[in-house]
Amino acid sequence: MRALIRQRFFVVLVVLVLMIIFFSITQEKFLSGPNISAILTSSSILWIASMGLTFVMLSGGFDLSIGSMLALTGIGMGWFLNEAGLPVALAIIATIALGAILGGLVNGILIGKLGLSFLVVTLGSLILFRGLTNFWSQSKTTQVISPFLDALAYGSTFGVPNPVWVMLATYLVMLYVQKYTFFGRDIYAVGGNMEAARLSGIRTSRTLIAVYAISGGLAALAAVMQDARIGAASPQVGENLVFSAAAAVLLGGTAFSGGVGGVSGTVVGVLFLGVLQNGLSVAGVESYWQQIITGLILIGAITLDYAQRKGIRFRRPAAIS
Amino acid sequence: MSAQAPANPTVPFLRAEQLRKSYGGVQALKGVDFELYPGEVHGLCGENGSGKSTLLKILSAQIQTDAGATFVNEAPVSFKSPVETLSAGIATVTQERTLVPQLSVAENVMLGHTKARKLWGIDWRGTRDRATEILAKLNVVEDVNTPVSELPPGQAQLVEIARAISGDMRVLILDEPTSSLSTSEVESLFSAVGRLRKHGVAIVFISHRMAEVFEICDRITVLRDGERVSSGPIGDYTPDKVVADMLGRELSAFHGDDEHVEYSQAIAEFEGLGLERRFEDVSFSLGQGEVLGIAGLVGAGHSELVESVFGLHPDYTGAIKVHGQSVELRDPSRAMRQKIAFVPGDRKVQGLVLDMSVLENAIMASTSLRGRARNPRPSDAVDFVKKCIEQFSIVTHSLETPVVRLSGGNQQKVLLSKWIGTEPEILVLDEPTRGVDVGAKSEIYRILLAQREKGMSILVSSSEVPELLTLCDRIVVMHRGRVAGIVSREHADEDVILRMAMGHE
Repeated sequence: MRALIRQRFFVVLVVLVLMIIFFSITQEKFLSGPNISAILTSSSILWIASMGLTFVMLSGGFDLSIGSMLALTGIGMGWFLNEAGLPVALAIIATIALGAILGGLVNGILIGKLGLSFLVVTLGSLILFRGLTNFWSQSKTTQVISPFLDALAYGSTFGVPNPVWVMLATYLVMLYVQKYTFFGRDIYAVGGNMEAARLSGIRTSRTLIAVYAISGGLAALAAVMQDARIGAASPQVGENLVFSAAAAVLLGGTAFSGGVGGVSGTVVGVLFLGVLQNGLSVAGVESYWQQIITGLILIGAITLDYAQRKGIRFRRPAAIS
Repeated sequence: MSAQAPANPTVPFLRAEQLRKSYGGVQALKGVDFELYPGEVHGLCGENGSGKSTLLKILSAQIQTDAGATFVNEAPVSFKSPVETLSAGIATVTQERTLVPQLSVAENVMLGHTKARKLWGIDWRGTRDRATEILAKLNVVEDVNTPVSELPPGQAQLVEIARAISGDMRVLILDEPTSSLSTSEVESLFSAVGRLRKHGVAIVFISHRMAEVFEICDRITVLRDGERVSSGPIGDYTPDKVVADMLGRELSAFHGDDEHVEYSQAIAEFEGLGLERRFEDVSFSLGQGEVLGIAGLVGAGHSELVESVFGLHPDYTGAIKVHGQSVELRDPSRAMRQKIAFVPGDRKVQGLVLDMSVLENAIMASTSLRGRARNPRPSDAVDFVKKCIEQFSIVTHSLETPVVRLSGGNQQKVLLSKWIGTEPEILVLDEPTRGVDVGAKSEIYRILLAQREKGMSILVSSSEVPELLTLCDRIVVMHRGRVAGIVSREHADEDVILRMAMGHE
């Protein structure tokens, strides 16, 4: 419990729990099985993409291009399945590989190897990937029909919707990498103090390239889920994804400056946004109120976090013996 | 904008009485008096750690004194921030650059002053004219439209000084102003200082170069261990007396063991090393199992020299041999593969990831050297850290405590553990006890000497001479980027080393 309180996302977690209690008292259907499933499955794309963005932000960077990457790899998924005629499993693997390679080669090499600004590079790739998406699809939406994808989006296993299994698997793999691999710890070192990491013999450029490749790969996995949900590959998807994902990661306590936070916090952040949206929709609140409330809470959470850390700073001298 | 009091040379313009300041348990100032008269150049001398910087920081209100009082024209004042001292006419130029590199020389000089304004906005011509006028006083004929980033370091330093004198200043504090200046730039500076003195401005001058102090100062105050040892007109002093006052009679408090490793066989040889604007033509060799010190005063190039040994300056020139084999140490991981470890001088910037735990910091280098095992916390590395915590008496709540919570001395010991854990043959350290209290200092010395016992060769750069005398078997003394001499410990004392480092003789 103490370890939980010390987490940076603790405040958001408390608000989330209060929110769940409030909605479940005011709306009888809120805690019903179908509604819980709806909250989770409608968050699946945001969830998966935010995991990748968490790693990028832990490394001290940012990836503006995830929304365009989602659209581009979504079109890629349709092409692999319809035009290239790949079996669905291979098409999924090819899609994820496409995302990882583009993320690693374009964003990763320019940021990690050449040391260019992540804002400039990913802003460029945001526009580039969107352009490629429109070029490849001729700005047209194409049907993507496969029984497997249909089951992936709408089927259940052991009574739990399949998207939830995908979300859980993504989270657990990312948590393992973050916590129990060298690479995961290197991300924290690079994000916390790039110079010290380099002087410790950590290959900082390799770490950064991998981080952006993962971000691209997970955006592609999110694209697979997206195609499966709507049964089509659309060039218009994902335009607001990066804003929601950034909000989820920041609410989850990962610092913009890098080196602090993690994927567990991002889970809290994604659920927070999902519950808020669902609760307000079920209550019939207009969508602009959702935006206003989400924005206020995001600013509030970050201010609170800042105040908290200031407090720790003030107390710190006493802790030194 | 400043206190317009008549310049009376018999009443000090600025006076400090019984200033005290301590950091943690360390007393940096133990009741220091200081007087500064209008129209004098006052040299402030003292070794690193004597309390010079603390005194300056209090006078310019960068920090607050614990006890004591400050007077301007004998009226008590208590400045709360550098802005207040500045508006009282007290300007400071430190070694830290405070210019905005992207802005022009003119804008930098006038930064912070009310810019000449016209109805439609800033009067750029007026700003430029005023800046040109001030720079002319320093004999700087640079085009004032040049961005500061394009200036050589010496010129930038002069711009910094120009900014300090651009207001109507009564006191100008110059902390090591000449360390990055060429000879002709020093002359320009000194003639400008002479002019300011004639106008009744009081100047505090700090330099490690004895010749400069005697060339320009009217009075001298010597500090040692946070106390004022002596103060008086320059005529009462000789360079020898200043050095003697700086050192005091008693010898350094720490005695290294009397064990002495005789230089027998070289493990690493350095021939004709150079780095642009930092050091040149530096040759020496590091003996098997010896502790070799690199002494130098601020700006002598000793820090950059040891950084080059760890590959931090890939554009160094000259030859390096390890075990008789030529090696190119152009990046840290190559240096690590040669079994070289490096404890950097700035542990917060270069050494530690402050938000990460004691354990993760301590194993960071040894694990990355070993390559990618699956388990990022190999049990032997963890055991090693536990052993270090015990042996080096590192005070930490647990292995998982973020290092930012530790005191400076304990952080430094974590950093030492991190690098000793890589089992190096050559351990390179830059300022190993910077910002560390006295108790932790002697523990760090003990740790280092214990490594020598185990046969490790140690190269340590420091600007604290007593530290080198405690640790080292031989000492390479640097002066302005060149080797001034190499002395072995039995022939070395503080006096000899300081004279060499100051270029005196």
